[in-house]
Amino acid sequence: MLKYLKPYRLAAGAALILMLVELVVELWHPVLMARIIDEGILPRDTGAVLRIGAWMTLLALLGFASGIVNSYFAAHVSQGFAFDVRAGMYERVQTFPYAVFSRFSAATLMTRMTSDVTQVQNAVFMSLRVMMRAPLIMAGGLFMALALSVRLGLILLLISPVLFTVLVWMMNRGFKLFQAVQARLDRTNGLLRENLLGMRLIKAMVRYARERERFMQANEDLMTRTISAIRVVELTVPALLMVMNVGILLLLWFGSAEVQAGRAEVGEIVAVVNYAMRIMAAFSMLSWIVTSLARARASAGRITEVLKTEEKETTIRTEGSAEDGRQEQAASPPFAPDEGAEIAFERVTFRYPGMADPALERISFTVRPGQTAAILGATGSGKSSLIQLIPRLFDPDEGAVRIDGRDVRTCDPEWLRAQIGYAPQEVVLFSGTVRDNLLWGKDDATREEIVEAARAAQIHETIMRLPDQYETMLGQKGVNLSGGQKQRLSVARALLRKPRVLLLDDSTSALDAKTEAALLAALKAYRCTILLVTQKISAAMQADVILILEDGRLHAMGTHEELLRTSPLYARIIRSQYGEEAAHHG
Amino acid sequence: MADRGGKRGQRPKQWVPTLLRIWSYLAVHKRLLTAIFVMTAVSSTLGLLGPYLLGRAIDDFFVPGDYKGLVLLILVLGASYIAQGAAGWLQNFWMIGVAQRTVAKLRADLFDALHRLPIAYFTKRQHGELMSRMTSDIENVSQTLNSSFIQLISSLLTFAGMLGLMIWLSPIMTLITLTIVPVMFAGMRWITNRTGRYFKETQRNTGALNGFVEETLSGQRIVKSFSREHAVIDEFMAKNARLRESAYRAQVYSGFIPKLMNMLNNMSFAIVAGAGGLLTLKGIVSVGIIVTFAEYARQFTRPLNDLANQFNTFLSAVAGAERVFEVIDEQEETVDERGAVPIGQVKGEIVFDNVSFSYEPGVPTIEGASFRAAAGEMIALVGPTGAGKTTIVQLLARFYEPDSGRILIDGRDIRGITRKSLRKAMGFVPQDVFLFEGTIRENIRYGRLDATDEEVEQAAREANAHRFIMKLPHGYDTMLRQDGSGISQGQRQLLAIARMILADPAILVLDEATSSIDTITELHIQEALYRLMAGRTSIVIAHRLNTIRRADRILVLDRGRIIEQGSHEELMALSGFYSSLVRSGQQAAFAGSE
Repeated sequence: MLKYLKPYRLAAGAALILMLVELVVELWHPVLMARIIDEGILPRDTGAVLRIGAWMTLLALLGFASGIVNSYFAAHVSQGFAFDVRAGMYERVQTFPYAVFSRFSAATLMTRMTSDVTQVQNAVFMSLRVMMRAPLIMAGGLFMALALSVRLGLILLLISPVLFTVLVWMMNRGFKLFQAVQARLDRTNGLLRENLLGMRLIKAMVRYARERERFMQANEDLMTRTISAIRVVELTVPALLMVMNVGILLLLWFGSAEVQAGRAEVGEIVAVVNYAMRIMAAFSMLSWIVTSLARARASAGRITEVLKTEEKETTIRTEGSAEDGRQEQAASPPFAPDEGAEIAFERVTFRYPGMADPALERISFTVRPGQTAAILGATGSGKSSLIQLIPRLFDPDEGAVRIDGRDVRTCDPEWLRAQIGYAPQEVVLFSGTVRDNLLWGKDDATREEIVEAARAAQIHETIMRLPDQYETMLGQKGVNLSGGQKQRLSVARALLRKPRVLLLDDSTSALDAKTEAALLAALKAYRCTILLVTQKISAAMQADVILILEDGRLHAMGTHEELLRTSPLYARIIRSQYGEEAAHHG
Repeated sequence: MADRGGKRGQRPKQWVPTLLRIWSYLAVHKRLLTAIFVMTAVSSTLGLLGPYLLGRAIDDFFVPGDYKGLVLLILVLGASYIAQGAAGWLQNFWMIGVAQRTVAKLRADLFDALHRLPIAYFTKRQHGELMSRMTSDIENVSQTLNSSFIQLISSLLTFAGMLGLMIWLSPIMTLITLTIVPVMFAGMRWITNRTGRYFKETQRNTGALNGFVEETLSGQRIVKSFSREHAVIDEFMAKNARLRESAYRAQVYSGFIPKLMNMLNNMSFAIVAGAGGLLTLKGIVSVGIIVTFAEYARQFTRPLNDLANQFNTFLSAVAGAERVFEVIDEQEETVDERGAVPIGQVKGEIVFDNVSFSYEPGVPTIEGASFRAAAGEMIALVGPTGAGKTTIVQLLARFYEPDSGRILIDGRDIRGITRKSLRKAMGFVPQDVFLFEGTIRENIRYGRLDATDEEVEQAAREANAHRFIMKLPHGYDTMLRQDGSGISQGQRQLLAIARMILADPAILVLDEATSSIDTITELHIQEALYRLMAGRTSIVIAHRLNTIRRADRILVLDRGRIIEQGSHEELMALSGFYSSLVRSGQQAAFAGSE
């Protein structure tokens, strides 16, 4: 975490020096004040009054100037630091394998990237401006007291370890409590997100009361945790002040004895008491500092947790290749963009993290370049899981998925995915215009290419009817479009990149038969290999080969005619859609 | 002057109401606040008493070298310290409670406000942006309330006390000391005019960043499979940089405040010494007074200084609170019409009478839709995507209000029915099933909160979900994650159907409810669905022929108009849009591979 401060060490140093200048000005002023009285006012010397007065004004201005410049430096350091940390986190998160996202929810990552970073950033800012002051004043005061009278100073010195211990305890305790606070913040944040996502359902089911209760519990929990965390810190401070006060009383008591014994001057007692009071004043500042430090430490821990998550999308090195960057290129040979790729599964077994039963078991098949494979199967039979293994959203536990004969795990993910157009079952669109969303498929697509893809996906005409056509803004979940329109946009996005492999995961389920048929027909113009998950026999029949999954295993594979003959399950699926007579039709 | 300030970004106009509003939240805890006030007064006074007694100890005992009364004084001093500590402790203890309770209330109010808003509101906002208001903005308020309130009171008290003392000692010197006050205010004004703006901007930029993060993380599947990591990182950087810029400005300018105070503090020192010195030379005031005043000038500006130091958090709190109130004040989902009554027992007749509706002005989504569903009938909505099928059912649930025309249930205009009772009477199974983070059991029970475990399992059996649930690691107690990993889209739909079986609504709406379910499983649950539909009005949106076929009446929609309606046989005989739809489906089915 500290390495993020390194680029700013010069500016930070400057800020600290400026802070010291300010401090010096502040401490010097009383001295000048004494001189103006001693040298100017008492001897009635107007010249001296004006001279020293001018000095004081100059110094005040100098202090002000350094304070202002310090503001710039401190803000530069702390904001730059926060910027870099956020950037570092987001970059790291983008390298996470997809599976890690089930460990870090979006809500917690958001809290960490904003709330936690802000806590740390505040602490950095504060430390460049005031944080050092309190310890400096305290150390200075202690030193001066010792210099004046070792015996009396000792009293202060003896109290110090006590105070220090309490401070450390407070810091540690506060750290743990604030950790809990941030975790509760995650929870509240997560609940809110869930509510926003499920708002329609909540309204439709009139479940506001239940949601409110859940939220209130989290809210209450967050509140009590925050209260106890802040209380620990803020309530310890009055106790610390008490200890200091007792110290002052001791000073008076022993001081009087010292004076009586003639070992100390009254002036010394006064001065030592004075320094003790200054130390006290610095102490009240400490509560604030310690709170923000404890908080920052808790937050820093949560940030580091994200930054330290080393899991990356690994690329398995092919044997004999050197461990250098050039090897990456060796793993990414150029590919013919306008040609389908061969997709092969070799005894692939896959289970989701934390699940006992495998989602896919010993699946083997090959789809030849340019072929269309339809994947049929019951709900939960593993169709989507199978699709997800191809762009490496997950990696298989056993076996291998191959593209053009190469294990996808040995491919550079970017290279691999550049060849794949994927339209997932649950459509994801982003805030932005229709065009912005389509351009995800290919950054530099021309207008013609966009229209071509949109036409193939049977969405061009719909887009042209929107208020601003391709420039129409879409909401976060593409909400002002119907389910089928969103699906077609998602397909158009995948088509835009002219992929070698097109993965359509039930991407036409909300389309009527006519539109679906037109879309599937338009796909024939693309020379890519297509894996099409579908429920509909009408769609499956147009494929070159049909795969039927059952409980994560490949039940059967073949053409429509072959399956009609060999697979009773296929016949049942047909019967379920077209009735008894259809099963014998082919 | 006020006008010019007003033009500058409405600061002064917005400020006071926001503060008053925060105060109205605090004011609920009047008793505690009074107690806090008293404690603050006590501890502030004792804070002044301590040094005074200390001074007396030196003057009366040490200087004359007479230590007789010292023990007593030390005891008194000790007692005052204890009292001060206790008062300080209590004031903090209570204040933290009040502050956090206030913040919790603010969060609850924001949550309530969000739930009162119409669905349309959420289609224009990013979730992350709204979440940012709940966390980042409220956090700002929280941090200020914890410390600033006490500081404010004690500073004001000290300030008033010092002022009184000074005037009593020497009015002229007081006047001289006060010369810096106008400068102070002018400076503060200059600064706050800027900081206020930048704080608000910072909060807005935080919201935008949050929105972007939420969106790209929710869509990570797409980000990854389209290799858009670099692109989203670039966009993140742009938003991140914007946040840095505004936050930098806010911090620099607000950082000026304490520095300005410090300088004025030192200046006042110089002014008192200089001007006072000249006055002494003229014999107007005594040297002692100057020394005292110099000390007081410091004491006097210190509370102002403290206040100024709090000003940063204070400003960002106002900026945060403003954004929270912005949502709370948002036009809510129109309140139920005057005289709206609960729907009561529902027979289920539904009538659309010439209903028109548009999401965007000028782009009609539904145009002059009229149809009638008798109680207990099954109605199918058919048509190309985007024809307005989902909109029809959303209008029925009053997620949106028609621009013209009427919707009647059992002959009563639904505008005369409370939303809550209307929605309670209806059951929705949408295409995109939403599952909460929680167990499978809890998710099914969402349909009827008081259902027993047996009823939940029975519903799951009927929905054909029992089998897959039992295969999950913990059966019905398997936790579902937000990202829904480990459970397929079709299985989600089965759960939604189970949920609805449990809910047992008077009117049933199935919006592509089985689109992700394979047809064999669909056959299995069809019986349960038909049983569920029997005797109640149901509206079914589907593409699958065998689902539609059994409908009593089929409405064919195209571009927002109902172009055909009738039974399957009637519509087939019509040889219109519907029959061509059906044929194209069948053609595809029997065309085989080309």
